[in-house]
Amino acid sequence: MWTVATYVLKKRFSGTKRYPLVLMLEPLFRCNLACAGCGKIQYPPHILKKALTPEQCWAAAEECGAPMVSIPGGEPLLHPQIIEIVNGFIARKKYIYLCTNALLLKKRLPEFTPSKYLTFSVHLDGMREHHDMSVCKEGGYDIAVEGIKAAVAAGFRVTTNATFFDGADAQGIRGFFDEVMDMGVEGIVLSPGYSYDKAPDQNHFMGRARSRRLFRTVLANRKKSWKFNMSPLFLEFLMGKRNYECTPWGSPAYNIFGWQRPCYLLQDGYAASWKELLETTRWEDYGVASGNPKCANCMVSCGYEPSAVIEGFGSARGFLAMVRGTFRLYPDKAALAELENPPKASSPHLEETAV
Amino acid sequence: MTAEVSRFTREQIEALELSPGFKHEKLEGWVPAIASEGDLRDALEKAFDYRGDVTLTLKGGERVEGYVFNRQAGATLAGSFIQFFPADQPDPRTVSYADIERVEFTGKDRAAGKQWEDWIRKYNEKKAAGEKNIALTPEALD
Repeated sequence: MWTVATYVLKKRFSGTKRYPLVLMLEPLFRCNLACAGCGKIQYPPHILKKALTPEQCWAAAEECGAPMVSIPGGEPLLHPQIIEIVNGFIARKKYIYLCTNALLLKKRLPEFTPSKYLTFSVHLDGMREHHDMSVCKEGGYDIAVEGIKAAVAAGFRVTTNATFFDGADAQGIRGFFDEVMDMGVEGIVLSPGYSYDKAPDQNHFMGRARSRRLFRTVLANRKKSWKFNMSPLFLEFLMGKRNYECTPWGSPAYNIFGWQRPCYLLQDGYAASWKELLETTRWEDYGVASGNPKCANCMVSCGYEPSAVIEGFGSARGFLAMVRGTFRLYPDKAALAELENPPKASSPHLEETAV
Repeated sequence: MTAEVSRFTREQIEALELSPGFKHEKLEGWVPAIASEGDLRDALEKAFDYRGDVTLTLKGGERVEGYVFNRQAGATLAGSFIQFFPADQPDPRTVSYADIERVEFTGKDRAAGKQWEDWIRKYNEKKAAGEKNIALTPEALD
């Protein structure tokens, strides 16, 4: 937190208008899952066989200067040099979130060394049945939980990250939070699913109104035992308590194609350098304010959490709101009523899964 | 802001219950007729959006198959280019729009044909047949 706070303040005092907080580094697109809601891995085999070198990974982080590096993919544990990549970032004092589905975590854990700079961010979309259906793999949850427990026991920092789609059950999500905190993780990361135009499934991405309702029901009347590894102001944004514009350059994406325009989620071309990305992207064409249909349902952390973090560390008022949000439990009778009498799922197919 | 991106008002977006989603265009096997500059620009824009390999025939007669990952459309064809990874080479190539004669969508569309409903149906059938460890697996790379 201190690192991010000083970084934001330095940028603010230096008058820098656009700066990154988290580099979204995709060292490869290959994955060992085939999730229906994912639009990241649909490429020809010769593309899926390519990977960034460790040197390219480190150079991207140095070039943009972000204090944190998130390593999604694809599945980063499939990268043959992932240990070297991670160790290089630790040596450079970059805070790394290695985002993994954890199918290989237990096996590869002995190759890593615990560090305050390294956090395994394990993809878990809910409790067993929900997660397994979401990642289209029965048994996926049990393997991931085994990996989480092994990592926690070995002294690694571990968080979970969950993506929610239409039909997600608020009561079930709250039960999932209890379950995850019992595993000993540091915190939970959550997000509504982004409607990738290349995702196999196009029918179950929540719109903004539904996302806000779900997250209000889930995150109000909070339990003290729940810890979130996210800005409290971003959680308030998800709950519909505040509004932000997107900060796409806050979490820039770099992969084998270069610097992705305009953000981690949307592929509207590539720039050869960070400078070129900043200077030549038509930023006004993106975000909710633009009316761009590709941004219409987006409330995802990579665009909106930087906005929340910048507000939180950018002013005394923002900082106070952030501190207050850290400790608030958000009592809300209406949300409680919705939790007890949930609206009928609009996705009947999800009910079919309970066979 | 360009007209094509301002499709929704802020109010409409904030009130959305479900994302409208995107319709998948069937391009696999398509060979667009290129009779004008506009045809070429359209074909290359679709090639950029396509999640499979395309085969380009260049004006010198060379044919090359690869994955188009970037395009930059300028005011003139000479000032516009695409970037692609040839299927059989490690490094990307950059080619001017002005040097491209023909575009063929020859590679398999990797984003086509997988629906959530198909997975649910398959899962239910296998479950009813007593199968365990039911899963969708990524396609083989070789």
